[in-house]
Amino acid sequence: MDMDCKEIFWLDELSKEYNDMVGKKCANLGELVKIGLRVPYGFALSVKAYETFMEETGLKEKVSQIVEKEINAGLDVDKEIGRMIEMSANIREAIEAADVPPGLAGQISNYYAELQKKTGIPDVPCAVRSSGAVSMPGQMETYLNIRGMSEIIRNVKKVWASAFTTRAIVFRIQNKMPISWAPIGIAVIMMIEAKSAGVILTVLPSAGDLDRAIIEGNFGLGESVVSGEITPDSFVINKKEMFIESRTVSEKTKMVVYGPCGTTVEDVPAELCKTSCIDDREILEIVRIAKDVEQHFGNPQDMEWAVDKRFAFPENIFWVQARGAKYTKKEAGKDEEYVIDLMLQLFRK
Amino acid sequence: MKIYDCVPGLEFDESLDFQISPAWFLDGTHSVPPWTPMFGWFWINFCRHGMQYGAEKLSLPTVKGWDWRFKDGGAYLCLLLVKTEEERKQREARFREAIKPFIDDFDGMWNGFKGELLALYEPVKTVDLDKATNTEQLETFEKIIAACRRMWGIHMYLMYGTYTAFVLFENMTRQMFGFDDTHPDFHALTSGFDNMSFQIDKDLLELAKKAKAMGLDEVFRVNSASEMRKFLQTAANGPAFLKDFDAFMEDEAGWRIERMAEINVPSWAEDPTPAFNMIKMSLEKGIDYSLDEERKKREATRAETEKRLMEKVPPEARSWFKMILGVAQNSALFSEEHNHYCELMCHSLIRRTLLGMGRRWVKSGAIDAVDDMFFLFPDEVRKVGINPDMFNMRPVVERRKAEWKGWVDRGNPPAFMAEGFTLEMAMKGLVESMDPIALKVVVGSMPVARPELKADLFGVCGSPGTVEGTVKVVWTEAELSKIVKGDIMVAPTTSPSWTPVFSILGGVIVDRGASLSHAAIVGREYGIPVVMNTFQGTTVLKDGMRIRLDANMGAIYILDK
Repeated sequence: MDMDCKEIFWLDELSKEYNDMVGKKCANLGELVKIGLRVPYGFALSVKAYETFMEETGLKEKVSQIVEKEINAGLDVDKEIGRMIEMSANIREAIEAADVPPGLAGQISNYYAELQKKTGIPDVPCAVRSSGAVSMPGQMETYLNIRGMSEIIRNVKKVWASAFTTRAIVFRIQNKMPISWAPIGIAVIMMIEAKSAGVILTVLPSAGDLDRAIIEGNFGLGESVVSGEITPDSFVINKKEMFIESRTVSEKTKMVVYGPCGTTVEDVPAELCKTSCIDDREILEIVRIAKDVEQHFGNPQDMEWAVDKRFAFPENIFWVQARGAKYTKKEAGKDEEYVIDLMLQLFRK
Repeated sequence: MKIYDCVPGLEFDESLDFQISPAWFLDGTHSVPPWTPMFGWFWINFCRHGMQYGAEKLSLPTVKGWDWRFKDGGAYLCLLLVKTEEERKQREARFREAIKPFIDDFDGMWNGFKGELLALYEPVKTVDLDKATNTEQLETFEKIIAACRRMWGIHMYLMYGTYTAFVLFENMTRQMFGFDDTHPDFHALTSGFDNMSFQIDKDLLELAKKAKAMGLDEVFRVNSASEMRKFLQTAANGPAFLKDFDAFMEDEAGWRIERMAEINVPSWAEDPTPAFNMIKMSLEKGIDYSLDEERKKREATRAETEKRLMEKVPPEARSWFKMILGVAQNSALFSEEHNHYCELMCHSLIRRTLLGMGRRWVKSGAIDAVDDMFFLFPDEVRKVGINPDMFNMRPVVERRKAEWKGWVDRGNPPAFMAEGFTLEMAMKGLVESMDPIALKVVVGSMPVARPELKADLFGVCGSPGTVEGTVKVVWTEAELSKIVKGDIMVAPTTSPSWTPVFSILGGVIVDRGASLSHAAIVGREYGIPVVMNTFQGTTVLKDGMRIRLDANMGAIYILDK
């Protein structure tokens, strides 16, 4: 495909064909926008932006030198973990300390300014997330509630630096890859002001049941659900007939909200903690959309949703993630064998 | 004169049969009042064959079907239990494979068998017995014997398979929701399906609507059902109506016999009086309802109940639970529909064939009346069939008929028990066999008297609901005509040909029955309360009594004491 590889793209310019340029997460978000999902406004820094940064700042060369020097000095990457950690810290420090080249910084600044216009929110709080094009160690960094141009730039560099975790360096040395090669994109997207958030799987993962979806959610941001720190509300939905088959509203004591910088954990207000974090209408709308996405991609999805308190239903439902769900594939005839076991049990009394 | 056994080899013989089982139970559902010898021969031979064949084909782990004996027109049965643990294990292993078609594609299997049965019946149905040679008549008789044998094989194979699932499902509902098959939700889950029996009832109602539209309701009102054809032939639009009516009898309803398990009463094809009567009753009681709508309501209730209960099933259990539910629903459907293709069609063809031969035998002087055929058994038919003019069967018929009248007058005891063996021990044995048919059709649940309810009679819920109404005790189909809308029918048991009357009944009470017997299934389809296993409903309750029936509690209250 003939695609102009820019350093920054709007999410709605992207699709899954852009995977190699902007990484999976960004390409996926672009794809979500393309199929009509409500995704928070945002832009993507491409792999090229990372490369421009590394080259123009001289970091590419500098990093190689640091590594070569250590190896020449007899560093054993397998055994000398302490030295590896120190090296990784040095590299990351160098990256975070470097200035983003003016051209690129100007571009980021323009896009961020545009984003503030689009959302109507000055210094619009953003999530800065890494978006790897291939599966590599590290690259899992996510920084939430980042406000203002200088903070955006600082956190973008932190994501880039995350390509040089100890494990990532070892991985590249062992696989004889160029040391600074990292196909890493970054998503900078507007933060949702979440009433509640969580995940939906369009399959019951342990049963491999493709006829049902499960939603888990909590008040506040989705991080509390994804991290598994609290027991979220949970709903099982019959996808074919579109009704809620079961619901477990649990006592949710904590929620993640964003503070002046980054996120904090807070108590859920006492009057809310035993109430459902989303209503039935929202549940069914979330499932409806997730089913469309599942159909679009052709496999069960693991998606992150958020209900934004600033908007009215159904414009309040936003999507921040969609990926293929991991689940236990149901072995053919497994249910049948079980049912037969139960029948045989009858005769054993 | 030497009179042979009616069912050679299978007459009850204490000295030998107590070695097989210390207890033999009367099949009260089917062989009360006592059977004629000919029908007894067919049932004892082939129902017995079918059960043992079905249990073998499915390789049921604990039971090899039932053994049956004939005694004074009564059918006595015992269970053939698997004796060793080793054999049980071998049968278990085979069961795993044998049960799969019931889970994978029951509809396909049942449709295939329906086709097979219809093909077996076809030559028997189409032969003109009055034109057929004696040899051809005998060949037709052999064909219906073979068809009957096959019919019971299919019947019992399918019944064992579907009822196994039904019992499992009942266990599941007990574990998961805390109710058994007498609970309204259970009934909602297993009713509301379209089937052949329902189709016939629906078409009967349609005919009543047609009669009204054609201006024939007055003809139906003033004339008796037995003479209806005569009056319709001369009424305006009458012949047009009769054309539709006859087509309906030919295609669907002609097979109905008042007593499903006998051949000595006419089928509707021979005597459509019951069908005319049903239409007459519908016209009198109002036809402004639609059975399809009723069924759709039940369908909606089923869907709603399924949905509600599914929420209580843990998500990871749902797909297999749904699978069991599906097979259990097949059981209910099969229970209701199989009578049409199995017993009703087959038995009315046995009757038709014997009557055809009987007409010739009467002319030839072998017997006095066509009905005398029912007091012979097949070997005697074979003996006489090619040259009926050479034989005089009157002495045999006479003595058997006299015996049969004695059987009917005396009735048969509920069980034969070896010395020292009690009914409790015998019932315990039945329950422990885990034979699904024994549990769900023959035994049923025993009523539990609850003194705190202060009821006059107790039974077991077959279909939920409460109702007040007037008692009508019904022993025969002819007595159905005394029922008016809202009455509570009290009967020893009910038969598929009685089904249409359920649409006007307020409730039903039967002496014997279990959750898959006819009264319960049809009661659930029509949404009326049914109480079963009262044992003495027909003796305690009298025509005209006002009663309150609380099927949910299995309690019956006499209001005008």
